[in-house]
Amino acid sequence: MSEDSGVKLRRKAKGKRPFYFSDPDVDRLLSMVMALAGELSVTRDRLDTLERVAAKKGLFSAGDIESYELDQDALEARAQRHETLFREVTRVIASALEDLEEAPSEEYNEVVDLVENDDVG
Amino acid sequence: MPASFVEQQLHQALPKTDHDELARQHFVRSFKEYLVSSIHPGLKTAYEKRAKKAFIADHQREPENIAEVGEVMRKDPHYQAWSSLLRTSQEMMWSSTQIPVERSLGGLVESAQDLGESTGGSLRLDPSLVIPPYHTAVDIHCQPGGYHTEYVEDDVAQGAIYDRAVYLYAMGQMGADNADMGDSTVAWLKQAHPDFKPSKILDLGCAVGHSTLPYASGFPEAEVHAVDVAAPMLRYAHARAAAKGLDVHFSQQNAEVMNFADNSFDLVVSHILLHETSSKAIKNIISECHRVLKPGGWMLHVETPPYEGMSPFDTFLFDWDSENNNEPFWRKSHLLDLNELAKQGGFSEHAPIQIMVPSAFQEAQRTMTFQGGDFGGGGVWFVYGCQK
Repeated sequence: MSEDSGVKLRRKAKGKRPFYFSDPDVDRLLSMVMALAGELSVTRDRLDTLERVAAKKGLFSAGDIESYELDQDALEARAQRHETLFREVTRVIASALEDLEEAPSEEYNEVVDLVENDDVG
Repeated sequence: MPASFVEQQLHQALPKTDHDELARQHFVRSFKEYLVSSIHPGLKTAYEKRAKKAFIADHQREPENIAEVGEVMRKDPHYQAWSSLLRTSQEMMWSSTQIPVERSLGGLVESAQDLGESTGGSLRLDPSLVIPPYHTAVDIHCQPGGYHTEYVEDDVAQGAIYDRAVYLYAMGQMGADNADMGDSTVAWLKQAHPDFKPSKILDLGCAVGHSTLPYASGFPEAEVHAVDVAAPMLRYAHARAAAKGLDVHFSQQNAEVMNFADNSFDLVVSHILLHETSSKAIKNIISECHRVLKPGGWMLHVETPPYEGMSPFDTFLFDWDSENNNEPFWRKSHLLDLNELAKQGGFSEHAPIQIMVPSAFQEAQRTMTFQGGDFGGGGVWFVYGCQK
């Protein structure tokens, strides 16, 4: 459905939001994980619908999907996609390590100091 | 896994959802079910094996009240995770029900207007009504915009969102029409007082009329009135009643001060209204019930049960909504002396009743305990009332 009423509803409930973990960022992260789980579930439900509609229309059945045999090309393409996915998701871990491996750069504040004050003297 | 999946009964006023919008709402429902059935039980284990021991180590005795249980539970990792997830599920519930309404609001307003013209019921709004501070201070149970916010002319958005959200919140446990509180009370009335035949009924704080319609269908000869402070709820309620072919007279009024004549109703009811008011308002409402009731008429308020008699641990969990779901009057309302309240409101003719009424819907599925995040799962409703 692509209609749009043009109205923007208020999305935040009035009232201070409570947090539960000693670091509220853990609560925020958990909320994002659950939102992602929700969107994953939406996608999985859509695939389920797709299979059911296909079966009803006589195109293919859920059994055809179960018995589908991946050929070498498909296996390699998927493995490649998995690697890309892992690389993107774990970016923040890799990034921390890269910092360690590279010649330690100046502290960030030192850089700010550098660019702010390079006209001094 | 519940014994059966009861989907909400579709009707013409209900917002339509596309495939993914519906899937998103079903995820929230499943999320809430999982919290209740799989995460919630661990709270007892965490309390017995960890939190309570910590309290005893510090105080050489067991916790004796909700503040003391809270002192140790708030530090417990399982409680923290459950609370964080429950709060998130509540926010996702509102978000998932807002999305289709935001997309299709123009059509919803038009369809509500068309439906409203097809009924023998009526709708009377009062734009000058002041929304009471206990509704404007925070958005109750975290619905963004509360009951009353309006975005467009003749707005029904908040009602349309609420209709679907209540179904998700109750996880279908209040039946396909979210009508269990009304249905259960009507069933109890007919069983306990078979000779009571109300000819004029009033429902207070009706919202979209989930609990109002059972009185219209249960007592087809009666004239049914319903009031609420929020116009978007009433417009939607009017359309929804019409879509279901039932006649109700909705008017925008505060239950503390209404314009109905003295001695004019045989039955005045409310459903989960009292805990969303205030110390002052609840007294005004009880007095107003007494004023508008005919002698011999009944006042019945359906609520969740008072804290009295519950263990400190159960009370602490049941109290969760007070501080975590924007229900600022929840705690106080569960600690009131209800007999005294009725007396103060003028009910001196008969003794008040405080009873548990069995759910009219799928009783066998119920847990029979009230617990945080499982509204409607108790299998019984608490009814407080009095005859005039």
